[in-house]
Amino acid sequence: MPPAPRWWWRQPDEGLARVAGTAVLVAVAYYVGARLGFLLQSPSVPTSVLWPPNAILTATLLLTPVRRWWIWVLAVIPAHLCVQVGVVHPPSLIAALFVTNWSEAVIAAVGVRLFSDAPARFDTLRRMAIFIVAAGLVAPFVSSFVDAAAVTALRGGDYSVIWRTRFFSNVLTELTLASVIVMALDSGRQWLTAAHERRSESAVLASVLFAVGLIIFGADGPWIPADLPRSTLALLLLPVLLWAAVKFGPASASLSLLLVTALATWGAHHGRGPFATLPAADRVIALQISLIMVAIPLLCLAAVVGERRRAQTALNDRLQFEALLARLSSTFVRLTAEEIDAAIRSCLAQLGEFFDFQRVALFRLSDADEFSEWHAWQGAASAFAPGPSPPLSFEVPLLARGHRLGKLAIETGTAPPLRSDGWISRVTMIADILGSALAKKEAEDAVRASESMKSAILASLTTRVAVLDRAGRIIEVNEAWKRHASEPGVDSPTMIGIDADYLACWRRASREGDAYAEAVAEGIGEVLGGVCLAFSVEFPCRSNGHERWWALSVVPLSRPEGGAVVSQAEVTERRNTEIDAQRMRQELAHFTRTSTMGELTASLAHELNQPLTAILANAQAARRSLDAGLTDVEELRAILSDIVDDDRRAGEVIHRLRDMMVKREPESLPLDLNLLLVDVIKLLTSDLLIHNITIVTELTADLPLVQGDRVQLQQVVLNLLLNAIDATGDGANKDRTITVRTEWLDSVHVSVSDEGHGLGSGTHDLVFQPFFTTKPTGMGMGLAVARSIIEAHGGLIWATDNPTRGATFHFAVPAQQSSSRA
Amino acid sequence: MIEDAKVVFVVDDDHSVRRGLERLLRTAGYRVTTFVSARDFLERADCAQAACLVLDIRMPGQNGLDLYEALLDGGYRIPTVFITGHADLLMAARAMKLGAVDFLPKVFDDEALLTAVRAAVDEPPPTAAS
Repeated sequence: MPPAPRWWWRQPDEGLARVAGTAVLVAVAYYVGARLGFLLQSPSVPTSVLWPPNAILTATLLLTPVRRWWIWVLAVIPAHLCVQVGVVHPPSLIAALFVTNWSEAVIAAVGVRLFSDAPARFDTLRRMAIFIVAAGLVAPFVSSFVDAAAVTALRGGDYSVIWRTRFFSNVLTELTLASVIVMALDSGRQWLTAAHERRSESAVLASVLFAVGLIIFGADGPWIPADLPRSTLALLLLPVLLWAAVKFGPASASLSLLLVTALATWGAHHGRGPFATLPAADRVIALQISLIMVAIPLLCLAAVVGERRRAQTALNDRLQFEALLARLSSTFVRLTAEEIDAAIRSCLAQLGEFFDFQRVALFRLSDADEFSEWHAWQGAASAFAPGPSPPLSFEVPLLARGHRLGKLAIETGTAPPLRSDGWISRVTMIADILGSALAKKEAEDAVRASESMKSAILASLTTRVAVLDRAGRIIEVNEAWKRHASEPGVDSPTMIGIDADYLACWRRASREGDAYAEAVAEGIGEVLGGVCLAFSVEFPCRSNGHERWWALSVVPLSRPEGGAVVSQAEVTERRNTEIDAQRMRQELAHFTRTSTMGELTASLAHELNQPLTAILANAQAARRSLDAGLTDVEELRAILSDIVDDDRRAGEVIHRLRDMMVKREPESLPLDLNLLLVDVIKLLTSDLLIHNITIVTELTADLPLVQGDRVQLQQVVLNLLLNAIDATGDGANKDRTITVRTEWLDSVHVSVSDEGHGLGSGTHDLVFQPFFTTKPTGMGMGLAVARSIIEAHGGLIWATDNPTRGATFHFAVPAQQSSSRA
Repeated sequence: MIEDAKVVFVVDDDHSVRRGLERLLRTAGYRVTTFVSARDFLERADCAQAACLVLDIRMPGQNGLDLYEALLDGGYRIPTVFITGHADLLMAARAMKLGAVDFLPKVFDDEALLTAVRAAVDEPPPTAAS
């Protein structure tokens, strides 16, 4: 198992009590082991078949950290003294034996720890082999020299005999007892939690082994053929031991060996068993060698089988996990935001069930950087057996592209879970999947929030909006459109709903004679076809007997599939207001026009008086000639011809006057402003004469035509000229002129310059305001009306001061579109 | 009759009015010379010949009243009948003050003009300006 990061675990503290308890346990075990060693001693040979204390010490050192070893050394001293004092002579040997016992354990533990990756586990061939070589062979071999030396030195005896007995005894004890103690702590828990059948089988195995052992090592009855060698009979043990090794692993194998050793020792002491015929000392040695020869391959076999089995289990486990991983990964690939919740719940359940967790919870990290539980899975309480350790909890952060999105909180049933090695990295893998799912969920939530914002905006518009596909079919409409579509009694292309062919609807209306429909259909078609970027029009539509006006605008939909967005807003009210305003403007224009004509009365009278005077004079001259009897026919014809001319002249004056006075609808016509100016100047001839003012005209030839109403533009010119005449005044200045100019400067530009006093500073804009006047009799409407007329013609009007003296009034109106300058 | 007919000068910028007045005065037995403007008059007229001057007030350039004053200043006192299309009381008063025979607003009757012209012609012959 790879070492886990520290923050994953809440490791229970190893307190002082635990250390002290262990020390007492080691001392007691040492004492009991030594007593057992003495019990197993052959009465004839002063050496035990098994000597448990050394193996107990070896197991202790393998199971505990090196830094605590000194505690056990101290703890064992009293136990050693209790056992040896009074038994062993001389007393100095007691200390020597203490040292030699420890030396074996230390050499064994250091050897195993040096070479094995897991000193307390013998579940692979390598670990088992290291244990057998280091603890089972080398340590007894080395320590037995010291032991034998101490014994011979302090008590005497054959060094080689003592070394031999010590060596075999220690090897056998290490191989059987030490391995049993070490593995019991690990496998015992497994055995406790194992299935019922397995426990039963192990009980049967133990019974069979005991029975066979008794037969081989203890039985001495008539039912055993006397001529059958006991060594042959001993082979009966092999299948049972193989059964233990193969089915139950190394722990069971060494436990079985221990049992067999105990039985064999007991049999040997009583002169029974396969080696009963040998002398006592040789009997023990033979027994030990035989057992060692069986133990080493058996333990290796058990380790190999266990390793293979675990590898198989690990493989199955990995395959299952990979299947789980694949399932979970694929689950989240194509999911809508709604399905993600269910999928995450399912994922948590599968994770919990796979690892036998107690509880799995997914937390989301809020914007305020706080965790809130989103989904949780709770294992069934009865589903897990209470383990020897308390439940652990740990948390895995959920990351997506480096951002922390939440965490996975897990409570395990037992710690660590036994299910598989590397489970933490597996949980991390699943956490990665959940992290991506969470990221996807958040991204989709964000998209949904943005979309709901967009649709809320669309829904709140009072303008009616419809989205068309490339073919002109409606694919989406907003609330305002739907509301209007449900109004009764309306039948026009403005009315149709989703899936209707909007463009076709306009084309049909066009065929049915709707004057606007043709232009609308063409405009929509051009936008859809990408020919133009926007189209807008205002059109009337009769509904419920009322005429309603709509402003329609079509813009392309910016997406690869094409299409367009149509918006329709009702502009009836605005249009009515505009029409009212136009009417008001006309009335005002007419009013100011007639009042202007009033100002011109005197000069108009002069203009009319000239021909009338001539007519009267001619007519009366003719009558007088006839009265006098003169009949000069040529003279009379000349007179009549003059009268006709003068009458026409008077008629023209009247006609011009009536043009300005009559109230009529404005009409838009192409106009030549040069001609228009000349006409107005004619109207003013008398006035100019009266005021002794000369008009200078600088008219640009080939001026483009403008589109407009003749009378209204005449009124503008008239107003400007009258203003200029007023400004020039009746002074004694001899060369008083007004200059009228036309120019083409991207629009038709007309200016009227006078030589009066000019405008007061700051009044250049003010003069166009209504009721602004400098004349005692003026109303101040002339220029205001002129401005409204020019603006209605899409033009501009403004005033400037001349460099020398006087002011110039300008206006500019756009040229008629089809009219181009020659 | 023609020999001793009185000469009437007519000054008016309007062509038709000039012709109409010329015919009318001729039917009344006067010899008529017409001028289109004050300047034309000053260039061509022989003031000593004139028995009467029919003078329009409103004309481009120098107006009738100014011409009349210039003539007075030059020592020519021709009996003058003013005519105008733009009746103006102040002008009438000024004309009469300067010694005009009559002031006729257009349009006027033949009798009104002929009476005025007759009165002018019958005035004592011009004397040298004092």
